[in-house]
Amino acid sequence: MGQSQKMSAVSRRVKRGTISAGWAIAGALLTVIMWELVKLLGSVVELPFDTSDTAMPNVWTMIAAFSQPEVRGSDVTILQAVVSAAAYSLMIALGGFIIGVSIGLILAIVMQRFAFLERGMLPFVIASQTVPLIALAPLIVGIGNRFSLGPVQWTSTASVMFIAAYLAFFPLSVGALRGLQAPTATSLELMHSYAATPRQLLFRLRFPASIPYLVPAMKVSAAAAVVGTVVAEISTGVRGGIGRLIVEYARETTSQPAKVYVAVFGAIVLGLVAAGLVTLLDMYLTRNLPKESPA
Amino acid sequence: MSDTSVNVTGIWKIFNEGLPNEVTALQDIDLTVETGEFISLIGPSGCGKSTLLRVIADLTGPTRGQATVAGMPAAQARKDQRYGIAFQQAALFDWRSVRRNVELPLELQGWSKDRRRTRAMELLEMVQLADFAEHRPWELSGGMQQRVAIARSLAVDPPLLLMDEPFGALDEMTRERMQNELLRIREETGKSIIFVTHSIPEAVYLSDRVVVMSPRPGRITDIISVNLGSRTEDTREAEGFFNAVTAVREALRGRGPGSSEARSRIGEI
Repeated sequence: MGQSQKMSAVSRRVKRGTISAGWAIAGALLTVIMWELVKLLGSVVELPFDTSDTAMPNVWTMIAAFSQPEVRGSDVTILQAVVSAAAYSLMIALGGFIIGVSIGLILAIVMQRFAFLERGMLPFVIASQTVPLIALAPLIVGIGNRFSLGPVQWTSTASVMFIAAYLAFFPLSVGALRGLQAPTATSLELMHSYAATPRQLLFRLRFPASIPYLVPAMKVSAAAAVVGTVVAEISTGVRGGIGRLIVEYARETTSQPAKVYVAVFGAIVLGLVAAGLVTLLDMYLTRNLPKESPA
Repeated sequence: MSDTSVNVTGIWKIFNEGLPNEVTALQDIDLTVETGEFISLIGPSGCGKSTLLRVIADLTGPTRGQATVAGMPAAQARKDQRYGIAFQQAALFDWRSVRRNVELPLELQGWSKDRRRTRAMELLEMVQLADFAEHRPWELSGGMQQRVAIARSLAVDPPLLLMDEPFGALDEMTRERMQNELLRIREETGKSIIFVTHSIPEAVYLSDRVVVMSPRPGRITDIISVNLGSRTEDTREAEGFFNAVTAVREALRGRGPGSSEARSRIGEI
């Protein structure tokens, strides 16, 4: 009985997923049509922005650019270059996300456990996010370059990952703190009546009760990690990732205007893949919870 | 084993003692509950009945006085799991199946998986929810959730059950069915029960003795023995039942012992 119900819940989710995928494709198609319409309009009347092929290449030119060689005479197509750059950035973002989530969780647990730490640390946690990333990036690279721990050498990639983690930890720690404080007074009294240890209280009640708060926080963190990675790649000038690629391709708009758009697609797909991974995590973590969110 | 399940002597509970917003929630409470006895605590909001239950459960400490459960101080009784507790909210954990909710106290005590499972199924059998063992709590009705909570409170087989308005959020029909079920469980297990309620008929139907409390300061004004023999649906319409209901109602109005004091206090306010 329970099994069949689980199955129907899964099939319901799949059905819902198919419907939203349909809407997403419709949305993308609409964007393409709008793009071409604006170009068409620009060729007839004067618009306040440039709609020429250099600034706004046709969608089919962009698609054709996928299979063009990255540099003249090279075996590597633009698409391959973009995909490998996006994959590289994704790995850095993933690393930053994992580090950020771990630190955010630990901070939340410590702040929940000791009220004086919540009062003492939360202002610093919030203040940490008001420092502009652009100011922070060179600072971290500068400090990182003079940092080594035995055989472990700080690389500029590590700086990018650090910045991604720095952006990712904040939404997670705030969300997790709220989640850890979510159990009702009755649930807490119940655990107290069982003479539960602090560890049992954390793992049997507070942590599972925090999941509905943790999941949306993780979605925000994942987005922050991706944005942090791309921006940090640009501002630190680290090669190999999608951020740097966008900057490089943007310089070639006169010769190959469609090229930079392929890189932008790469960045979008990178964001979507990251969001998809978090959604899978979400489905796993909330598999036993009611479908309507309490938060 | 002693004949006394719970012994409360000279309990005071004062919130914000010495401050302008001082509240005497419990004033000099003495109460003894015999083994196997069913006691109801009844009184208007703010009379301290839930606070008294929490003191016995060692969920809050008394300002003065002492409570013992099964012959030991309340704090020790809590650590040794000598009581089970159920609240108005079932407080089941959404992320656990019904069975694993019942297993929770056993899990915290370090029981093995197999023993836990066997015991939980036994209890779900008793509350007639064995078919729902693998369901999620949120798939169950309010009455069913409360039955799971009762099964959970019985998990470690404690000699005493503490119940804080467990049927308060249920509709009247479900409530009466749950009362019968609770009496049946009590008969099968021989537990002592302390039951907090707002409902006079509920207190009379369930209890051997009804402890009547009054607020500001929270104190016991009367204890009424109910001798209705073994309960059936007919009991609810028997003359003795109505007489007992009337007696409790009058005690609540302050026509029992200490009534003049009670009336003068109401006059002050």
